Amino acid sequence: MIYDMKPWQWVKHVVFHPTEGYEDMRWKKAGSIKIAFFIVFLLFCSQVFSSRYGGFAYNMKAYSDVFNIVPILVQSVAYYATWVVSNWSICTLFDGEGNMRRVAIYTAYALVPFIVCNFLSTAITYGLTLDESIWYTAISQVGLWWSVVLMVFGMKACHQYNFTMTIVSMICTVLGMVLILCLLALVMSLFQQVYVFFATIYTEILYRVRS
Amino acid sequence: MKFKKLSSVLIAALAAVMLMTSVVSAVDPYTTYNYDAWWNAVPSQAGYEVINTVDLQDQLKQLRDPTSEFFIGEKEPITLGDAKDFYLSPNDEFFIADTGNNRIIRTDINFNLLACYKTFSGLDDDEEHTVVDEEGNVIELDEDDLKTLKSPYGIFVDKDDVMYIADRDHQRIVKCVESTKTTAKILNEYYKPETELYDSVSFYCTKVCVDAAGNVYVICPAVNKGAIMFSDSGTFIGFYGQNRVEVTAEVIRNRIWRKIASEEQLASLTKSTPVEYANFDIDDEGFIWTVTEVANTTTDAVKKMNPAGYNILELTADNNQFGDQVSVTYNGTTYATRLTDIAISDDKFVNILDYTSGRIFQYDERCNQLLIFGFDQEEQRGGFNNPNAIETYGDNIYILDGRNNDITVFGLTEFGSYVHQAIALHNAGFYEEAYDVWQEVLKRDGGFYMALVGTAKALYNQEDYEGAMKYAKLAFTDTDYDRAFEANRQEGLRDNFTLYVIIIILLVIVWFVIKHLKKKGKIPQKLIATGVGYVYNKGRDAVVKAVADAKQKKGGKGK
Repeated sequence: MIYDMKPWQWVKHVVFHPTEGYEDMRWKKAGSIKIAFFIVFLLFCSQVFSSRYGGFAYNMKAYSDVFNIVPILVQSVAYYATWVVSNWSICTLFDGEGNMRRVAIYTAYALVPFIVCNFLSTAITYGLTLDESIWYTAISQVGLWWSVVLMVFGMKACHQYNFTMTIVSMICTVLGMVLILCLLALVMSLFQQVYVFFATIYTEILYRVRS
Repeated sequence: MKFKKLSSVLIAALAAVMLMTSVVSAVDPYTTYNYDAWWNAVPSQAGYEVINTVDLQDQLKQLRDPTSEFFIGEKEPITLGDAKDFYLSPNDEFFIADTGNNRIIRTDINFNLLACYKTFSGLDDDEEHTVVDEEGNVIELDEDDLKTLKSPYGIFVDKDDVMYIADRDHQRIVKCVESTKTTAKILNEYYKPETELYDSVSFYCTKVCVDAAGNVYVICPAVNKGAIMFSDSGTFIGFYGQNRVEVTAEVIRNRIWRKIASEEQLASLTKSTPVEYANFDIDDEGFIWTVTEVANTTTDAVKKMNPAGYNILELTADNNQFGDQVSVTYNGTTYATRLTDIAISDDKFVNILDYTSGRIFQYDERCNQLLIFGFDQEEQRGGFNNPNAIETYGDNIYILDGRNNDITVFGLTEFGSYVHQAIALHNAGFYEEAYDVWQEVLKRDGGFYMALVGTAKALYNQEDYEGAMKYAKLAFTDTDYDRAFEANRQEGLRDNFTLYVIIIILLVIVWFVIKHLKKKGKIPQKLIATGVGYVYNKGRDAVVKAVADAKQKKGGKGK
């Protein structure tokens, strides 16, 4: 096998060769951060697609609810970013070899099956009745677990861990994500209060100046 | 000639004015609403309108007239006094329990006085009856007490005109028939059951109901085990149809505490007890319908019970939300639905009276929301102050108001009669026959939920699957949509089967050709590349030229 591939061919290689693909990519120092960000953008698009489209019986909410982009943005881009930050922070402490750029790339590449199956399962609901929902479930579950497997091997290759260590580090990463998101929420509410405080002072002063 | 012209103009003008006034009079005196698929209140047409308000004063004047056969006394009140209940007997006569004046008024369907029962006698009863009042005092009922009523709260009449009266403050049920126009003969009395099963000290009965077998069901607000059930002869049988405990956070917390608490702690915990139902009605098939008058209750708010006391509504109803969906806070007071009475009409419509808002909620037999009408602006006709009871006769609905002391009669509007016609056909399975009627409903209220559902089902039966899908989407029902969608897909496949097969065969052939060429390395990559390159270059040139042109134009304009 010749590992003389273009960047997008590496994506294909990694997705279809979960066990050795990431090792090959690390050996060849391949993987593009541009493609990684593009995949994250596609992840966002797929989430929007699956929440706004689909057959009527499958996604009735899409036909009545007001579209709100914030939860979807959090579910895709924010989760990805916190995963990368949290994984890098944890694995730096756990003697992982990967730098942040590599974590970002490997994580994004692992998301490809999930994104594709997300698009696919939503698209086929236009032709499915509710009785045939097993196809929808099957496709989305295959995508999800394929991505999980890829993610495990990706992190393993990225940090050069053994299998147990990979699982431990991933669980710690999830805990780290929760921590980061909690802190973010706290900080945001704090800043909101600070903002409200200064806004009140501003209006008070304005009233006094005017009267 | 001129005069003729003028007169014709005048007549035309007059006709126009009359037309305009008729349009104005068609507007309802109050706004009505209905719930859509998302349980949002949306404005709707009025299904019922007030056709009469009866205060019975003219009729009750006869009670003071010594020449009349209804004469009782010179000072007999000629208005109703906080009447709590009335009942339309199977022989189409009204029996009004005039609570404040301790009498039963009997009228025909047009409210002509038939009788007014004030004295009740005839039972040779040597037993002494003692009752325990709210403060725990034991009161002995003497002979005079037993001959009168004290706060009769509820009444039921069977097909032989036998009255069952819930004589609340004497804590008994009186079973009696007419003897003269002002007196009644007692046939039987039902007192507090002397059994350990009945653990309440008092027997303040408020509502009474009798089934076809002569079993008497009694509601006491202090008893939460269900209705108290007597046999025809007066022996206590048991309790009937207890409500379940509504699962709230407090109930769950108590249940967890109960597992770990000590004996002393257990004693201090509040018990989770169900709420009693407030009122009932028996329908033609012998099912007993109950309503629970607790604000915003969702568990067992309305029940339809079989003789064993099981709620069969859980199996047959399409909907389990009754009354208003949200409580409203207005001027510091929170108004939440309190279902106070229920009446099943002959056409199987379920009418529920909301005490708080004075609204009547009408459902079909499967509990689909149909019409909402009535309101609590007591200054206006059709508004209620203390709506206590509801009865139905044909298409009319009668509401007894305990503070206005009158009875309001509602009649169907054109819109309401269309809804009734359509839902009757719909529930009988005649979807296609119901279609035209549903269209009439939709002309008047384009968002009427059941009309959308009905139209979708009718179109499905007419094999117009596209239309059925459209209306199912509007009604927001996934099951109806899915059925229509499946049929539509089937039809599409059948009609274009040859086309699909040809496309699939072509795709397979192309696939094999490409595979074959790839194997031999004969894919003319250079040719394809040249072709793609050519198209790309052409396209790029065109874009560049277009951009340049646009720039030039803009520049030209700028100069």
